[in-house]
Order: sequence, then structure tokens, then C-alpha cells
Amino acid sequence: MIGFLILSLFLGIVVVAFASIIQKKLADSIILFMGVGLGSVVLFFIFNAPDVALTEAVIGAGISSLIFLMALKHLKAES
Amino acid sequence: MFEYLNDSTTIKYIVTIGSMALFFVGLFGLLSQKHFIKIFISIATMETALFLFFIGNMFNKNFTAPIISEGFTDIAKMNDPIPHALILTAIVIGMAVLALGVSMSIEYYKLTGNTDIDKMNEMRH
Amino acid sequence: MSGFTLSAVFVLTLLKLLLENIPQSMHRAGDSLLELNSTDGVANGVTTVVVYFRGFDTLGEIAVLFIASLGIGLMLSQNKRCTIKAQSNFMLHTAAKLLFPIITLYGIYVMVYGHLSPGGGFQGGVIIASGVLLLLVSHRDFEVPHSFIVALETFAGVCYVLIGLIGLFTLDVFLGNFLPHDISQMGLLMSGGIIPIIYIIVGIKVGSEMSMIAQNLIKRGDDV
Repeated sequence: MIGFLILSLFLGIVVVAFASIIQKKLADSIILFMGVGLGSVVLFFIFNAPDVALTEAVIGAGISSLIFLMALKHLKAES
Repeated sequence: MFEYLNDSTTIKYIVTIGSMALFFVGLFGLLSQKHFIKIFISIATMETALFLFFIGNMFNKNFTAPIISEGFTDIAKMNDPIPHALILTAIVIGMAVLALGVSMSIEYYKLTGNTDIDKMNEMRH
Repeated sequence: MSGFTLSAVFVLTLLKLLLENIPQSMHRAGDSLLELNSTDGVANGVTTVVVYFRGFDTLGEIAVLFIASLGIGLMLSQNKRCTIKAQSNFMLHTAAKLLFPIITLYGIYVMVYGHLSPGGGFQGGVIIASGVLLLLVSHRDFEVPHSFIVALETFAGVCYVLIGLIGLFTLDVFLGNFLPHDISQMGLLMSGGIIPIIYIIVGIKVGSEMSMIAQNLIKRGDDV
């Protein structure tokens, strides 16, 4: 059961990361990058590491995404 | 149904292949994209892949988290706390470097107005 | 062309990593630290390693965060002050005022109980900073008071080095544990000597730095 969960999560993360790089608009790319962070938080919890999971949740979904979205606002770019 | 996937060697294989695949997806994005915000996103993806590889190789089904509480007082069955401490520091420093790099790119865009790395050739003339 | 070369390097890396011998019994470096933790540390093993056994590395990491925040503040605060022209939504306005005390309370809980359950200074500080970020986004004319944040951050940074120097003068070890720490108190809130105090100081410093980074990124630039 655990092996099946880890395999499907890894597959999902790789597909979402690949889709995030080949997008044309910048806003879609940033939102799909947040999906990679979400999947990695669940994986850290399965690997019995709760401190690392908490840190990656607040920094990956909070501060890192804020930095990219503010760059989008200052750039006003679409590609 | 999927009982053969619960072996410990198979889980190590899955973790190695999955995190290396994520690392190389990030490397492909680093080498082939032209917009410099997409390059920063690829660098952050590569760092996440390395953290997953580091922590995933310490996984053992019979061990628990390294916290002493009621019911979990057996030290010999706990995980190793040293990799967790190293990865905590690495996550925070990676975010700090990313913040500084993105703000430098914003200032460069305000100065010249282009976001394409092929047109950044002010040092050639 | 680059895809083909990258796939070849990927396959070669995988072959090298998977075909080496996986040792049957790994010698773990943390076993001796876990035994020391039951006599000298707190209930959370990772907190003891980060704050007490590796306290100097945490001091260096705080220095790196300080330099990053300094660089962002120098570069971005030369622009004029910008305001968001659109009037914010009524639901966002009310919900942010309702949620901010709850988020701050949760952040303080994670910070203070960091040595008994997963959490600690970094996580609690960034949670508090995300509550400040929510207020910055939803209210048009809210600004973090500048001198208060600067005083808080300086006070926390100076206190960390002072505690280390007091440990040096009384115990001949930089960042030594000079407060009483009994083994019989493991699991209670007041246990472990200086370990919870240092983690709270780290949390205050990290939280105020993230708030300043968020304010510099949102409120400086051209008008939107």
C-alpha cells in the first residue's frame, strides 16, 4: 500500500513539473509550481519527517510563491 | 493487489528514479527556456528534487519520527535526526537566494525593459 | 538535440546509482546523538540537533537571511511608494480582520511548543509573517511600522549572541546550557534549559524579516 502511494505521488509530481515548464503564460507556470510543492509536502509526511514537511509547507506555498507572484506583478508579462 | 511494491529495495529504486527524473526535468527547463523567471522556477524545482532524494533514502517502514512522547519511547526504533536538521537549513537558504535573484531581475527589467536572455548583451560592446 | 543528450545523461546517472551495492546495515550517525538526547536534550530530537548540538550553524543561517533581507530592502525601496488603486472586496476586508488574530495565535503556539512536538522557531515565525501578508494584501493603507520592526529584529539578534557569550563565560563552551535542565522534566513545557529560549528568539527574528521582505515586494514600485 505504501509503495503504491509513493509511486503515484512521484508520477504526479513529475508530470506537473513538466507541464509547468512548457506553459506559454507565466501565471499558469507559477500556479503549477505550487502543485509541485504540495505533492512534496505529502511525500515528506509519508517519509516520517514532520518538521521538514511543516517547513516546506510554509516556505514553499507561502513565501516562495509570493516572491514569484510579485515578480509577475512588476513585470506584467505574458510569455 | 500491489503487494510486490512494499519491498524495501523496491521503494529505494522508486525514490531514486523519481527524484532523479524531477531533477532532470528541472535541468531541461534551465537549459531551454528564455524568460528569466522560468529559469528561477526550474532552479527551485531542482532543489526540491534533491531534498526528496535525501530524505527518501532514509525511509524505513518500521521506524517512527524522532520525537519522544507517550507510547513512543524506544530510541532504537527512531529515525535519524541529522538529515532533517540539514534539510531544514537548506530549504530556508534556498528561499533566501531565490528572493535576492528575483528582485535583481525586477530591477534589471526596470532599467532596460527586456526579459529575454538572448538579448542581454550589454557586456559585448 | 538537448533533449536527446539530457536523456542519455539521465540513463547513465540512473545506472550508476542503482547498480552499486546497497549496504545491508547502514551505520547511522545519529544513534549516538539520540542517546545523548535522552539525557541532555528535549523531547524533539530535531530541535536538539538544530539548536544545541549545531547551534553555530543556525547562527550562520540567520546571518544569511539577514543579508538577503538587506539586499532586497536596498534595491527595492528606492522606488516611490505605490498604492493599489482598486477597492478591495467587502468579504476579503472582513475575513482578513477576523483571521489575523487566529493566525498569530497559531504561529505563537507552534513557536513556543517547538521542543515538544513538530514545529519550532522557523515555522512559527513564517506563519506569523503570512498573517501580516494577508493584512497587507486586503487593506489599501496598511503599513508595517518601520522602527518597531527594526528594533525587534535588532534586539533578537543581539540577544542570541549575548546568550552564547554568557555560556562561554560560565561553562567554557559557546552556547552552553547554563540553565538547570533535569532529566525528570522531559515532556513538560519548562524543560531543556536555554533551548526553548533560543528557538523563540530565532522565531521572532525570522518572522520580522519575512514581514519586511513582503512589504518591500508589495508596496514599492509603480502604481498598479
